[in-house]
Amino acid sequence: MNRLSIFTRGLIKENAVLVLMIGLCPALATSGTVRDGFGMGIAATFVLLFSNIIISMMRKIIPNEVRIPIFILIISTFVTIIDYFMQAFQPDLYRALGVFVPLIVVNCMILGRAEAYASKNSVFSSALDGLGVGLGFTLTLTVMGAIREILGNGTLLGMTIFGEGFKNAPVIFLILPPGAFLVIGVLKALLNKYYK
Amino acid sequence: MISTRSMVITLLVVAIVCSVVLSFVYSYTAPRIEDTQKELTLAGLREVIKANVFTAVVPDTVWEAMDSANNLVGIVFRVFPQGYGGPIPIMVGLDLEGSITGIRIASAAEGLKETPGLGVKITEPDFRGQFIGKTLENVLIRKDGGDIDAITAATISSRAVCNGIKQGIEKFASYLCPPFDKCRIFPGAQDFAKIIPEILWYALKDNDTLGIVFVGTVQGYAGQIKFIVGITDKTEITGIEILSSNETPGIGEAIRDKVFLNSFKDKIPDAITGATISSRALIDGVKSKIEEYKGYLK
Repeated sequence: MNRLSIFTRGLIKENAVLVLMIGLCPALATSGTVRDGFGMGIAATFVLLFSNIIISMMRKIIPNEVRIPIFILIISTFVTIIDYFMQAFQPDLYRALGVFVPLIVVNCMILGRAEAYASKNSVFSSALDGLGVGLGFTLTLTVMGAIREILGNGTLLGMTIFGEGFKNAPVIFLILPPGAFLVIGVLKALLNKYYK
Repeated sequence: MISTRSMVITLLVVAIVCSVVLSFVYSYTAPRIEDTQKELTLAGLREVIKANVFTAVVPDTVWEAMDSANNLVGIVFRVFPQGYGGPIPIMVGLDLEGSITGIRIASAAEGLKETPGLGVKITEPDFRGQFIGKTLENVLIRKDGGDIDAITAATISSRAVCNGIKQGIEKFASYLCPPFDKCRIFPGAQDFAKIIPEILWYALKDNDTLGIVFVGTVQGYAGQIKFIVGITDKTEITGIEILSSNETPGIGEAIRDKVFLNSFKDKIPDAITGATISSRALIDGVKSKIEEYKGYLK
């Protein structure tokens, strides 16, 4: 497989949320606004990229029997790093994402890439794979955030984009948790129709 | 087949390396996290009352607000009444008369759990602005007999905000210095010369110094006791009042008893039985003020 396709595969063709249907929990919970969705995506991408690199570097010395605890140690280290940095430099985002930042540790998307790809492939390919899957996740969450924020709140990145009339009566349903299911379903349907 | 020993060693080494990396990251970010938190709190405090300096009286709950000349202009307190979806974090500013100078309700991004589009409207200026100038008497929604217009379809959230603020004022108003009468503390004086703002005055008559009026703070049983005392230059006590205290009702609060306070004028009384810690604290506080004044007289 050539290197470009390793990277692009995770973006759409094997998009974690919309095709593989993994990492759904943070996708549902943190895609209420563009900022939250994008922030969550970038945090997960950071963890994916670096845990993939480190795990791939260590793939020859990790004993098979204890690989899962070691993967989790490495992943949780990067999650804690991003947790501290977000708390220090992006406190608003940190509060908005809440418990979903530490929960990146148990995101099956990340452990899945470590187990299925990084522990079997070269460092460079693993980095590309992690970046691709992470950016695919970011893209999905950002698009979902945009749809939900525009229609559900009448704003984009916090700025009012429709008139006062819409702002007073937006599609509140989309901001609420069921709205996330609906948006994921619609996006998946569109992807199935136009990408097959 | 890999031996158990090599498994254990690999796992141990990975764990140690991870811990070391994290401890470095922590020591780099911890002071920044603290700074960010302080800045956020300060920005919130400035939103509810016009003041320059804030001193925490009860950490994260009550602040005294001072202007640039270090005069007390009011207090800020925080309450978390139960709303429709969860606790509502509210910061309230009170001026010295006990009217609200402003309120700040955390946004959804900061942890407000009210329903989007309905309950969260309590954060909008239209609703928040109504509270400015309200006092304990009228900070209720109209349905409950107050002067606040509740948000349509968000009565529970609106009511929770009002009741939370009302209870907060009842609980924390004692931190506001009640406007005290220095003449009552020091009868006979015609004028008071301010030496240290809000702390120390000379009691004057015909330009002679009769004595001194002190505001002191001591640690009681359940918090700080703030008192005001007048002392003549013969170190006699002219009067004493409790400005604020947080002692146990019915027990430690016996220090507010008029007979007890008046007995200071003859001689320093003994501690009150059943309220030893609180009354002992006050007695020691008064004694130390007398000693302090003796120091000035020399």
